[in-house]
Amino acid sequence: MEERLYDLIFICRPATPEEEISKIVTTLEHSAVEHGGKVEKTEKWGTRRLAYRVSKHREGFFVYMVLRSAQSDIIKELERRLKVSDAVIKYQTVRLDEDLKRQQKLVKHRERRAGRRPRKAAGAPTPAQQVPPTAEQTAAS
Amino acid sequence: MADEPVKVPIEVPAATPAPSAPRSEGPSGGGTHRSEGHSGGGGQRREGYSGGGGGGQRREGGGPGGPGGGGPGGPRRGGKRQYFRKKKVCRFCVERVDFIDYKKVEMLQPFVQERGKILPRRMTGTCSRHQRWLGEAIKRARNIALLPFATEL
Repeated sequence: MEERLYDLIFICRPATPEEEISKIVTTLEHSAVEHGGKVEKTEKWGTRRLAYRVSKHREGFFVYMVLRSAQSDIIKELERRLKVSDAVIKYQTVRLDEDLKRQQKLVKHRERRAGRRPRKAAGAPTPAQQVPPTAEQTAAS
Repeated sequence: MADEPVKVPIEVPAATPAPSAPRSEGPSGGGTHRSEGHSGGGGQRREGYSGGGGGGQRREGGGPGGPGGGGPGGPRRGGKRQYFRKKKVCRFCVERVDFIDYKKVEMLQPFVQERGKILPRRMTGTCSRHQRWLGEAIKRARNIALLPFATEL
């Protein structure tokens, strides 16, 4: 089975000490590896305001992880762990590989079209092609 | 990449052209003559009926409103037409967005009302494909408390 990409976000209580959050993250990473997955990225977003109250909290500590795995059991296991731990008030896993695949397809399609178009009309498509990279460059710089 | 679009074309109010439409149609079709005829004979008779009386009054109000509002009615009617309205363009198509990330709240925020409602396509001008992705992203963000389902007071 092909590998799948998942986004995992969980929210801890704002009062949780930093060490405990790190402990949760390490246990999650360990169990992910045990189940044949791979943790690509772990980000601590820090304490953020919640858009609505979650178990009587208005703020929460957000942790964001990106996982790659061929088995779906890994998600089951990680969600079980998150459910069990008291510090975690909310979690969400989203499968992203299909969206990304769609994105790549669109990019490829556009490139092909951009490559084909200049034969018919050379002037029109070139400025349109130049726009997106400049926007990305400005955002990156 | 996503930080630039802060302004949303929400200013196009869907409500304003709607009330002007019936008003402009009514008096333009010779509304003054009708109102005179009803006020003379039928007005008293219809006072017995609450609905009829209301209708008579409305027409009488529409009669003077017609010639008076004829001047401003012209440009208003012109504004209602789509030729004069700025054409809305899908912002995601302009920027060539292939994937709307649900984690970028500041990117989704312009497409959500203050109370948390997803803005319709007719307000924002988003194309159907991107609106679909946008809705999905907003719903994901809502689930993880990045965006509200409905703001509580």
